Amino acid sequence: MAHHLEGSRNSCALHGALQLFEAIDGVVPVIHSTSGCGVQHYLGVTRMSGGNDPFGSPPVSSSNIGQKHVVFGGGSRLREQLKNTVKVVQADLYAIVTGCSTEMVGDDIAAMAREGRDQNWPVIYTNTPGFSGDVHHGYHLAVKALIEQLPDIWKERDKVPSGLVNIWGIIPNQDPFWRGNLQELGRLLEGIGLVPNLLLGSEQSVASWQQIPGAVLNLVLSHWGELPARLLADRYATPSITLDSLPIGTAISTLLRRLTELLKLDTIRTEAFISREESRLNFQFARLADIYFHAGFQREFVLVGESAQVVAIGEFLGKSLGLLPRTLIITDNPPDSVHQSLITRLASIVPGYDTEVIFSEDRTDITEFIRASAAQLVLGSSLEREVSEESGVPFFALSFPLADRIVLERSYAGYRGATTLLEDIGTAILAFNRDCHLC
Amino acid sequence: MSEKIGKHIAIYGKGGIGKSTTASNISAALTDSGYRVIQIGCDPKSDSTTILRGGNDLPTVLDTLREQSKLRIEDISAIGFGGVLCIEAGGPVPGVGCAGRGINAAVELLQELNVFDEFKPDFVLYDVLGDVVCGGFAVPIRDGLADRAFVVTSSDFMAIFAANNLFKAVNKYAPSGGARLGGVIANSILAAYAPELIDDFAEKTGTNVIGYVPRSLVVAQSELYGKTVIEAAPQSEQAQVYRNLAKYIDENEDSVIPKPLNSPELKKWAREWGDRIFEVETGVVHEMASI
Ligand SMILES: Nc1ncnc2c1ncn2[C@@H]1O[C@H](COP(=O)(O)OP(=O)(O)O)[C@@H](O)[C@H]1O
Ligand code: SF4
Ligand SMILES: [Mg+2]
Repeated sequence: MAHHLEGSRNSCALHGALQLFEAIDGVVPVIHSTSGCGVQHYLGVTRMSGGNDPFGSPPVSSSNIGQKHVVFGGGSRLREQLKNTVKVVQADLYAIVTGCSTEMVGDDIAAMAREGRDQNWPVIYTNTPGFSGDVHHGYHLAVKALIEQLPDIWKERDKVPSGLVNIWGIIPNQDPFWRGNLQELGRLLEGIGLVPNLLLGSEQSVASWQQIPGAVLNLVLSHWGELPARLLADRYATPSITLDSLPIGTAISTLLRRLTELLKLDTIRTEAFISREESRLNFQFARLADIYFHAGFQREFVLVGESAQVVAIGEFLGKSLGLLPRTLIITDNPPDSVHQSLITRLASIVPGYDTEVIFSEDRTDITEFIRASAAQLVLGSSLEREVSEESGVPFFALSFPLADRIVLERSYAGYRGATTLLEDIGTAILAFNRDCHLC
Repeated sequence: MSEKIGKHIAIYGKGGIGKSTTASNISAALTDSGYRVIQIGCDPKSDSTTILRGGNDLPTVLDTLREQSKLRIEDISAIGFGGVLCIEAGGPVPGVGCAGRGINAAVELLQELNVFDEFKPDFVLYDVLGDVVCGGFAVPIRDGLADRAFVVTSSDFMAIFAANNLFKAVNKYAPSGGARLGGVIANSILAAYAPELIDDFAEKTGTNVIGYVPRSLVVAQSELYGKTVIEAAPQSEQAQVYRNLAKYIDENEDSVIPKPLNSPELKKWAREWGDRIFEVETGVVHEMASI
């Protein structure tokens, strides 16, 4: 049954595509839509992700169409905008993305991109009206456009380093910790002798995307990464490993061993690396023991976030730290086909303990589930702050939208991300306990 | 919206069925009776008022809007036969842009320009593109712009089909303040069975036929002179037919909410008529058959 959604955290497809393009050095997106689309992307998405503004302010090229262009078609406005953009900013790639209005009208975007290419401008395009789907769909569309259209623009391929691994499924800003997480993953892959092709974030440019076909493996870290892996398997027969998430803590060791085996890497090197990392982490766990009991870390928690985050953080807290996952709320609308496997996986984090797994992106519902859970710790987005305060339980914001934290390079992935997550959640619990004593 | 000035009437019907010809002749007949009339072509073809203006050029509202942001009524209108104020909404080139939104924009502009307050029409005729393909073309009947809609149809199935679609739109919008149906105008009547076929369709849909316009050479001839029949052949029988239509629209305020047929019903109805026409053409005579 249709029902209205309140405070959804999944923005539109256009914004998903922009997230991706803005995360690649040298790519300049050109929005073909009404002016509000670009503004909304900034106000409602980039700024709401731990201050992850791409350039500090939102200078994005947009055709800002008006009624005239709706009636007569906006093709010529886009042509002009593209021309002006090329004049003003030198880019390695211009990516045309569209919004609802221009798609309703049916402007021929492909033709405009073709015209650009005829002038030797590197232009790709993708039709991303908000009505076609949400931010995750937009990520798919943008990735698909790059995979399918880049080879026509750059016919020559650079030499690709051996052991290159492409990373998929982490959506910039939709995961506020995407930069730090990718960096940590990169460090781990290098640690076992692989060459990470992170594709997004600092120093990741169009050149990184050109290397995709030469990779030995596609590493998929959420359901949203399955489509690119499938496209690449079809085109280049690249094998892939698909995980529900990027693991946190010692759980990442399993992935490193699996990669070592599959790609026939140096086992001794991998084991040495793992042992170094794990002993560092175990040392920290040991140091934490006293305060863990003293402050009452072990408690029931609610976790609200994208499926990949819920899996990674939920398992880390439940399996490695002994916290109890009362209610896990998945907000990214993963395809129905994966619901059951997610439920099975998440419900058994702590054997014998009853964990509730919920799929919802509705703030009102989520608030109700949190109230009903009676959990003693709430981990979610800034949207969950209110209900946590009202319920009088400690709260820590770690999923999108993240309005009241600054996230620059913080990571909640791998070994180091485990440390950071411990520090942050621990601090939140201590601060809460202190405030309680004071009042 | 300020109080509506004049009676606002929308004419719909399949493309090429004779909407503009009929509307223009009705406008001409109404001015002949001393009324002030505005005819607004709401069709990207922009030829609604051609025969009221001797075929002269008239910049469309949308074309003018594209070139300049501030415009006056004079820029987008012309005085045609008998003082009819002629306006063409216009539209994009085929295959580009959104004509539906164009109609919307043009009508909005006319309201902003206070055309109705200034001209003080007794009648406003909206001559709207054939099928009600999308929301944009429903604007004249949807937003309370027109009080009554008339549909022009011939006895061709496709024309009837389009009329039935209009009925669906009227049926949808009338309860919330949209236009009601004033009646059906049967046009291009040639075959002997045509009036009865259209009558039957009207009866099945709870509507009525307000006039039968024969297919006539006078229309074609007048069109070649760039004139309405009222102007070019005022004494002709055809002119009298149009005058009667105008008189009906003037004197009769009746309107209904039609009951459109659903597609299986419409198909079945058409098949039955197909059989009947075949029988007529081949000379089968049924009892009580009145053709
Ligand atoms: N009753 C009629 N007799 C003869 N020709 C007609 C008649 N009605 C319309 N026509 C002709 O049919 C053609 C299409 O008519 P028009 O009014 O432009 O249709 P529409 O506005 O519905 O697209 C014109 O050439 C017109 O002269
Ligand atoms: S939903 Fe449509 S109109 Fe709204 S921002 Fe996205 S593309 Fe633009
Ligand atoms: Mg016409």
